[in-house]
Formats: sequence, C-alpha cells, structure tokens
Amino acid sequence: MTDCGCEKAKAELEEYLHNELRKEDAIDIREHLEHCPDCRSEHNVGRTLTEVMQRACKETAPEDLRDQVLLRLRAIQSAH
Amino acid sequence: MATSTLMEPMLAGPFTVEGLELPVMTTDTTDMRDLFEAQAMPFIDQLYAAAMRMTRNPSDAQDLVQETFVKAFASFKQFEQGTNLKAWLYRILTNTFINTYRKKQREPYQGTIDDLEDWQLGGAESTTATSSRSAEAEAIDHLPDSAVKDALQSIPEDFRLAVYFADVEGFSYQEIAEIMKTPIGTVMSRLHRGRRLLRDLLAGYAEERGLGTGQATTRIKTSGSTGK
Repeated sequence: MTDCGCEKAKAELEEYLHNELRKEDAIDIREHLEHCPDCRSEHNVGRTLTEVMQRACKETAPEDLRDQVLLRLRAIQSAH
Repeated sequence: MATSTLMEPMLAGPFTVEGLELPVMTTDTTDMRDLFEAQAMPFIDQLYAAAMRMTRNPSDAQDLVQETFVKAFASFKQFEQGTNLKAWLYRILTNTFINTYRKKQREPYQGTIDDLEDWQLGGAESTTATSSRSAEAEAIDHLPDSAVKDALQSIPEDFRLAVYFADVEGFSYQEIAEIMKTPIGTVMSRLHRGRRLLRDLLAGYAEERGLGTGQATTRIKTSGSTGK
C-alpha cells in the first residue's frame, strides 16, 4: 500500500484522533503513523491533550444537587 | 386523562365530587417520571462537569444542571426513545446555558471569535522537532488537573465547548454541530483552533513549572505511547 504522506496525515490527524475519518482514510493514517516517527510524535501530543482533559474534567455532582433535582421533578409532577 | 374519565362511573361513590380530579397519580405520569429518572439521572455527573466548564463556578453549575433536568423532564414526551438521550440532554444544557448564563457572564470575544485570524488568537502551527514533541507530550501529561482546567477556562467559550464536547464527552462532529447549532465546518475549525490554543497554553504552563518542553529535555520516553 502506498504511504499517504505527511501532508495528508498532518491535515487529518485531528479527525483521526476523533474517529471522524472514513475507514479507508483511517487505515491510511494508521499505516503512515507506523512508519513516520515525526507524525507519530505529533499524534502523541494530540492524544495526550485529549487524555489530560478527560482526566482533569471529571466531576461528581454534589449529593445535594441530586436530591434537589429529584425533589423538583416530583414537585412538577404533583402540580399536574 | 382518557383512562380516568372511563373509570369515573365505577369510582363515583358518595365521596367523589363530580368533576374533581382524582388526587391519585395516574400510573402513566408516574411511569414517565420513573423512566426519566432511570434514563436521565445517570448523566448528572457528566452534565455537572460540563456545567462547571461552562459557568466556571459550582453554584451556577448546580443551577444550570437543575434547570436542564427540569426542562428535559418537561419535554421528555417529545424525546424519541431509542435515539441519543445524552446528546439530547446536552442540547438542552447548552441552550439553557447560552440563553441564561452566557448573557450574565459576558464573553469579550462573543460572536466574532470564528472570524478572527489565527495570528490574532496567538496559536501558530508548530514546526517542533520530533524529540521536543515527545518532551512536550510528557510535560503536558504531568501537568496538574488545575492547570488543565485553567487553560480550558481561558480559551474563548465556543472553542472551549467544542473541545469539551469532542475530547471529554466523545461526541461526534455531527452531534456537536447539532448541540451547538452550527455547521460542521465551524465545529471543526473551533476544535482545531481550540486545541491549538490549549496546547500552547499547556506547553507554557509546563515551561513555567520547569517541566520543560523544549530543547534541553532530550529524554525520550516510549512508555507513554500505547495503542495506535
């Protein structure tokens, strides 16, 4: 299979990361990444960015909020 | 309700006043609430997390989440079972945020951010070498959560939301387009520019903290690069 080259890879890395590419395109990029350390390191930064955001943005809703929501739902219902 | 009207003659005893609605809740509405609670409540942590990124403070985030659940419940009948409930809830959350909280908060760039040129935003495409890029990834990976949240907080709101929806929530571009009511091309541009800004900010933070992303760090670790 012919390598899609750095230009296409770099242009589509973000969509690749977000699983937005069609299957054939994703395969092209994956193959290119296997052979190209430069694009691979770029992809690695992108993936790290996503991972640290997922890690940092975890929250648990306060118990209180949960209770208040349930109370309000019940209040709405009994008003009908 | 049709069923209770049918039942009335049978229930009508000496204690029933003609025309008075039965105080008993119909199973219909109770079922509806049970269904809503069972399906929607599991998303409360995620919705709260998103609300925190939107409003930037716990008290507004709680109000926003409450409002979202109330509105969602009110229109739950219109929700088509089997379609994406999470995306539906996020649409309500985002709408509510934009219509109420955003007005209050006043974003400096509001409305025109998509038209700004890249140089005005400050993020240039990097031409960094491979070795320093792996140092960059490692440095970013070691930043504390607070730094990541600060960075997210400081990028323009439309970018922040697009990035949040794609990277944290894993929504597809199409879903984000629907949630943000914007063309898919705009979503892609917001994502790209938002991620670029974040990356630069985080690299900057790392440098400040002496984590180093630049030339000096030549240590290349491969353990971080799992899964292709």
